[in-house]
Amino acid sequence: MAGESTSSESAGVDTAERTDGAMAHERPNASRTFRTIVGRELRTVARTRTVFLLGLALTAIVLGITWVGGGYQAGYLPTTVDLLTPLELLVPIVAVAFGYRAILDDERRGELDVLATYPVSPREIVLGVYAGRAIGLAVAIAIPLAVVAAAIALTGDTTVGVYATHEGADSPILFGRFVVLTLLFALVVLAVAIAISSVVSGARGALALSVVALVVLLVGLDLALVYGLAEGLIGDADLLNALAVSPLSAYRGLVLETTVVVAGGTGPQVASPIASLIGLAVWGLGSLAVAVWGVGR
Amino acid sequence: MSEHSPTRTPILEATRVDRDFGTVSVLEEVSLTIDSDAVTALIGPNGSGKTTLLRVLAGLLEPTDGTVEFHGAGSVRQIGYLPQQPAFRPGFTVLETLRFYSSLVGETEADALDRLRLVGLEDATERPVEALSGGMTRLVGIAQATIGDPPVVVLDEPGSGLDPGMRRHVFEVATELAADGTAVILSSHDLELVERTADDVVVIEDGQVLETGEPAMLRDRLSVDSLRDVYEVATAGEAGTVRVQGVSP
Repeated sequence: MAGESTSSESAGVDTAERTDGAMAHERPNASRTFRTIVGRELRTVARTRTVFLLGLALTAIVLGITWVGGGYQAGYLPTTVDLLTPLELLVPIVAVAFGYRAILDDERRGELDVLATYPVSPREIVLGVYAGRAIGLAVAIAIPLAVVAAAIALTGDTTVGVYATHEGADSPILFGRFVVLTLLFALVVLAVAIAISSVVSGARGALALSVVALVVLLVGLDLALVYGLAEGLIGDADLLNALAVSPLSAYRGLVLETTVVVAGGTGPQVASPIASLIGLAVWGLGSLAVAVWGVGR
Repeated sequence: MSEHSPTRTPILEATRVDRDFGTVSVLEEVSLTIDSDAVTALIGPNGSGKTTLLRVLAGLLEPTDGTVEFHGAGSVRQIGYLPQQPAFRPGFTVLETLRFYSSLVGETEADALDRLRLVGLEDATERPVEALSGGMTRLVGIAQATIGDPPVVVLDEPGSGLDPGMRRHVFEVATELAADGTAVILSSHDLELVERTADDVVVIEDGQVLETGEPAMLRDRLSVDSLRDVYEVATAGEAGTVRVQGVSP
C-alpha cells in the first residue's frame, strides 16, 4: 500500500470524492501567483541592508578599478578588459550572496510547509524566488557598470590609449555587450545558488556548499579543462567547445569574442559563442530544475 | 476507526497509516475519520507522534503505508496548516505577511484584516513580524491557517505559548470555525480546554491510536470523571519521562 496516497493540488492527500460545492475563492492565475512571489522577493531584497552594502562595495570596487586602470580616459574597451578579471571573481560572490539562503530560510522557518497547503507549485515558488532575486541582483550589478559607462562618456578622451591600433573601434555598444554578458553570468550563478539553497537543510551547510560551488565554478572547472588538455583528453579542436562546460570560461570567452576580438577585427577565435551560450543555459536551467526538485521533495 | 457522529460528515479519512523515519516507526496502523463541522483534538505524551500524524493528515508527509483520503468539496485551498513553531519572513509587517498568503488564494487585503480580527490582532497590523511575541506569532499563524476558508484546518498546538485568556480565545476560534462547517484538527496538552471544546478526542501514544471518541464517551468507556483521567488511564507514559519511539521499551 506504500505510496497509495498521491499528491493532490495543494497537498499530498487523496481527493477521493469531491462534490461540486461552490468555491468561496478562485485560484488566481499563474501570472498573478508569480507576481505575488516575485513581489515578496523584491521587497525582501530591498529591505535587506546587506544587499545595499554589497551594491555599494561593488560600485566602489568597479569605480576604483576603472580609475586605477585609467579607464575613464582610455575608453570602454580598455575598461572592459580591466574589469573582466575582477568581475569573474566578484560577480559569483555577489550572486551567491543573493541566493544561497533564498529558499533555505523559508524552509527553516516552516514557510515552505505552509506554502505547500496553498495552490502554489514548487515550480512557481522557485521561479518566483529566482526572478525576484534576479531583478535585485541585476540592479546591483548594472548600476556600478552604468555609472562607469556614464563616467567614461563624460570624461573619456577621443583617443584610445591601450588599443591604439584599433582606434575608432571603441564603442559604448561593446561595453553594453559586456554588461549584458556579465548580467547573464550573474543570473546563471544565482541559479546555482538557488539550487544549493533548496537542497541543503542548514545555514552552515548552505555556506559550505556555496564555498565549494564557488571554488568549483571559479577554479575547479578551469583546472579540469587544463588537466584534460594536458592529458590529451581534450583535443585542440575540441577546446573551444569544451570551454563552455565552465560557466566562468563561457562568460570570459563570450566577452572576449563579442568585445575585444570584434574590436580587433582579427586574431584567433578564443571561444565558441554558441557553445558558451548553451553551456550557460544548461547551467542555469539545470540549476533551476534541481531547485524545483529540492523544494518539491 | 474514529467513532464519529452520524449527523456529521466525514471529510478526511486515514486508513492504516504508517509513517517511518528511517528505521524508526513513528506511526503504526493509524486509522481515523475526521468529521467536518467538528473540532478533533489529538492528545498524547510528548513524542507520541501527534505532529507527524497532523503533518500526514495535512498532506505534508507521505504515509509510508496506508492512505489519507480527502472527501471535501472543491476549494481553492483544501487544508490550512499551523506549524508547531510558526515563523514568518522578517522585514514584513503582520498585514503584509497575511496579504501575501491571501493573494495566493485570490483574497484581498480586507480579507486579511478580517483574519487578523478573528484572532484579535487587528491592532498589530503594522507591527513587523520579527517584533511579535511567540504567542502573537502563533495567532498570526492561526489567521494564516484560515486563509482561503479551507474545509480542513490543522493546528499543531495552537494554544502553546499563549496566556490562559488567549488560549481560551484560540479554542473559541476553533469552535467557531467548526460551527461554520470546517473540520478543525488540533493537538494540545491543555486537557481541560480540550474537554470543553473538542467534539472528538484522539488519544495517541507510541504512534498508535489508543482511544478515540467524544469526550463524554471516553469518560464513560473508561469509567473516569475527566479527560485528564482518560489520558492517564489510557497512556502508559510516566510523568517526567519522554517515551522515545524506537528506544523506550
